[in-house]
Amino acid sequence: MRPRTLAGRYARTAYLFLLPAILFFAAFFYLPIGNVVATSFRTGPQADQWTGLGNYTQALADPAVRHSFLITVAFSVLVVIGSIVLGLALALALDQPLKGRVVFRVLLLVPYLTSVAIVGLLWRNILDPELGVLNRMLGAAGLPEQQWLNTAPLLTIAAVTLWQNVGYTMVLFLAGLQGIPETYHEAAKIDGADAWHRFWRITLPLLAPTTLFVSVMAVISGLQAFGQAYIITNGGPGDATDLSVFHIFNVAFRARDFGYSSAQSVLLLIVIVAFTLVQLRAGRRGEVTY
Amino acid sequence: MRKALLYTLLVLASVVTIVPLLYMLSLSLQTEAETLSADAVLVPDSPQWGNYAELFTRAPFGNFVVNSLVVAGAITLAHLVFDPLVGYVFAKFRFPLRNTLFVALLATLMVPFFVRMIPLYVLMANMGWLNTYQGLITPFLMDAFGIFLMRQFIQPIPDDLISAARIDGASELRIYRSVILPQTRPALAVLGLFTFVFQWNEFLWPLVATTTPEMRTIPVGLTLFNQEYFTLWHLTAAGSVILFVPTAVLFIFTQRYFVRGIALTGLR
Repeated sequence: MRPRTLAGRYARTAYLFLLPAILFFAAFFYLPIGNVVATSFRTGPQADQWTGLGNYTQALADPAVRHSFLITVAFSVLVVIGSIVLGLALALALDQPLKGRVVFRVLLLVPYLTSVAIVGLLWRNILDPELGVLNRMLGAAGLPEQQWLNTAPLLTIAAVTLWQNVGYTMVLFLAGLQGIPETYHEAAKIDGADAWHRFWRITLPLLAPTTLFVSVMAVISGLQAFGQAYIITNGGPGDATDLSVFHIFNVAFRARDFGYSSAQSVLLLIVIVAFTLVQLRAGRRGEVTY
Repeated sequence: MRKALLYTLLVLASVVTIVPLLYMLSLSLQTEAETLSADAVLVPDSPQWGNYAELFTRAPFGNFVVNSLVVAGAITLAHLVFDPLVGYVFAKFRFPLRNTLFVALLATLMVPFFVRMIPLYVLMANMGWLNTYQGLITPFLMDAFGIFLMRQFIQPIPDDLISAARIDGASELRIYRSVILPQTRPALAVLGLFTFVFQWNEFLWPLVATTTPEMRTIPVGLTLFNQEYFTLWHLTAAGSVILFVPTAVLFIFTQRYFVRGIALTGLR
């Protein structure tokens, strides 16, 4: 039947064009989200026995789950701080009129294009206690060899993650810096403010929205880190790098407990969503308007 | 003096980012003995180009390459077909439930992949789609980021252009194809680039959804290969170089778009 009104015809076209998307998001986003919640209330090898909140109470009391969550938060905090400090420093340097700016920008961005598989394997090789090139070079130079992945495993994989992602935060900060009108700095210069002052009083406050965005993105990706733990450390030594998603992966696909792993997924999702909303809210309130 | 300081910082940072990747290249050209020698070999005595050929005989690496190309290629194509179409609808059409549907779409941005991982695995297992191309491809056919990017890009296109085409009697699909799509080319380039690079590098889902070596993509094939033959670092490095080269080449030619894409959207 042909809709009679013009508005009706446009609406029909709109729905026709949207149909594939509606089906896709229903089948591959909303159905799975519904399923993961439904499965989280079930237990048993087939995840077919109802257990109510059993998986949740078990997860909240499970020291392994708590531990993996805490180290995941610690890992994210390390990555966020590093991303902001280093990304901002590099962006500030690249914001200056220097020769070869494009070359530096390209070189710094390259690791961001690599797969976590490359990053993981490459750094596992470099950092290996005996085989690793770093220790062999230290040894050749007569310096004591280091066991980074044993003495500071979490810090080390956070540093590797930072190595991969700092170019990305640098580009975001660079875009933020270029959005600050030159006149603010010139006015401050005339008023006699030195570079240090101008940075703290003008640049940093005006960059607040960018900084917020960078930190939200970095926390969210930090909380989801998987490849680093899977490839570099296999969660170890002991459980030192048993990051949450790696833990969930193991409960699901190695221990084959879909109910328990689903409940842990939902808990981690709740944390991520709550965190995102709080951050966005804070951002809206604190946003500087001119 | 201040300039010297800035250059020092930038050169130091660039060395830290690039040297490990150059070492990967060096490692891929070393003999197995060189990779194990007590002195760190930084430049191999004679480059072992044969390592790259050996990779294809020691593991089904040819399969990995084909699988990666098929999966990342198909997903990129799907994004290029669907994301602008959906973006156009949300940018230019008025219809009931428009805002509700748009919010429902954007809400999916807050759902990280690990949340979908277990139910998708069960779904694919039930459909018999584990270890198949459709299993690797379908969960990623579209995403809200791409749709949002295209909507932002299409919104400023004047409505008069669309009205004029309607008055001329063009069909809605024709308007989309001949009026809207040609104008979105720069945005499509960014979208295609990002989608391909991220899917080419994707690790978690191909790890979960494949069970035989023949169906693995390069990132997953490499890590499992490395576990099985963990001392063969020269081959692992050669495989990493093969995985890295396409994105590196793509990036060199398009770095302007790439940087603008990140700056505009903060894409992932």
